[in-house]
Amino acid sequence: MTSLLVAKQILMTLYSKYEVYITPLLKFLLALISLLLINSHMGYMESIDRTTVVLIVSLMCSFMPMNFIVVMAALFTMLHLYAFNLECTIVVGAGFLLMFLLYLRFSPKDTLVVLLIPVCFLLRIPYVVPLAMGLVGTPVSAVSITCGVIAYYMLHFVTQNVSTILAMADEEMTARFKFIVDGLLNNRQMVITIAAFAVTVILVYLIRRMSIDYAWTIAMAAGAVVNITVLLVGDLMFDTNVALLEVVLGNILSLFIAVVLQFFVFNVDYSRTEKVQFEDDEYYYYVKAVPKISVSKPEKKVKQINSQKNKAASRNRYTH
Amino acid sequence: MLNKERIILMTKMASYEVNEGKRNVAIGSYFRGDYIGWQVLKSIISATIAFVVVFGMYIYYDFEVFMMDIYKMDLIEFARHILFMYLWTVGIYAVVSYVVYTMRYMRAVKSLNLYYMNLRKLAAMYKA
Repeated sequence: MTSLLVAKQILMTLYSKYEVYITPLLKFLLALISLLLINSHMGYMESIDRTTVVLIVSLMCSFMPMNFIVVMAALFTMLHLYAFNLECTIVVGAGFLLMFLLYLRFSPKDTLVVLLIPVCFLLRIPYVVPLAMGLVGTPVSAVSITCGVIAYYMLHFVTQNVSTILAMADEEMTARFKFIVDGLLNNRQMVITIAAFAVTVILVYLIRRMSIDYAWTIAMAAGAVVNITVLLVGDLMFDTNVALLEVVLGNILSLFIAVVLQFFVFNVDYSRTEKVQFEDDEYYYYVKAVPKISVSKPEKKVKQINSQKNKAASRNRYTH
Repeated sequence: MLNKERIILMTKMASYEVNEGKRNVAIGSYFRGDYIGWQVLKSIISATIAFVVVFGMYIYYDFEVFMMDIYKMDLIEFARHILFMYLWTVGIYAVVSYVVYTMRYMRAVKSLNLYYMNLRKLAAMYKA
């Protein structure tokens, strides 16, 4: 444990020292992963489905504000959809526009979650986002997560029904439009996922704010269990074909990532908790103070075998 | 001679100015009514655009049926119904915006007051 804490201290020191380089690098990596995933799943427009284009745009994202990555990801998605089918572009574009107009302009800080959810879905660990947002965010984050889930399922529906949409090429434009809108609105899996994630965020938030020992750990575990339960109950009720093993394994992996997050954000020693009670003219105070775990970085000592005096003497000997 | 306390206070204030303070100063430059009114107006415009988008998609979804029914339906009643829905949508959204931006303004002013208090403290340190 001590070596882990030392490693954390070293990482934090390194980050504060090289923040100017590390932050753009992380932005670059996030943009690169997002754009590569978008291209690999929907590479309909050949002109942007190139590594050079992705690299240039990612490089551009690394020097811009974080939300620029979301804008670029949305732009890439829209361009691919435009190359594939006009009706899909209209429906998905309208979805993005509504999200931006009605919610994201209220809380631009949460915009990144809308990108992270589809990316984590493609990496098979979407459950980490509600756990993490419950730990570091507020219950309002449930709305951002809902937007992210809707964005993912919109794109998922299009990629899953490529052949059907192409087969409808001879039909009226309105028929294709109707098919896409129906497919999105009647997606029960999406509704259940939204419900599961929203309940998880709120539950994790409520438990981690409680004045109990190991609140964060309990919150994470309870969040993962509730997540699995809601998804499975939803599957039983609406027959959504949830892959049980994938959900359980995904939640376990997400729990592990959440533990790592906890280690960096909220690492306290409950064995040294102090409870004090005092009063002033207006209130009685019942204070519970939990100390943070911290270790100092070990200092490297350089032991000199030959002393400065000897060095100087030997130098003099050679010069004379 | 360096004054440690003064340097700590100045560093904290500089950090506030760059991060959270930037937004709060922008909010604090408005009067309460002006800020909230302007934000609610922007929300009403956003809600109007969103309503137009949803209404357009609703019409386009059943466009053929709509075009066939358009001669049979009571257009004034239909327009009244749409207007009623629009007012409800925009009204609710405007109220939510009002609450959110009022809270945001109050929080910013509270934070700025603390900042100005520190500024006065700093000025007093220089005089002493």
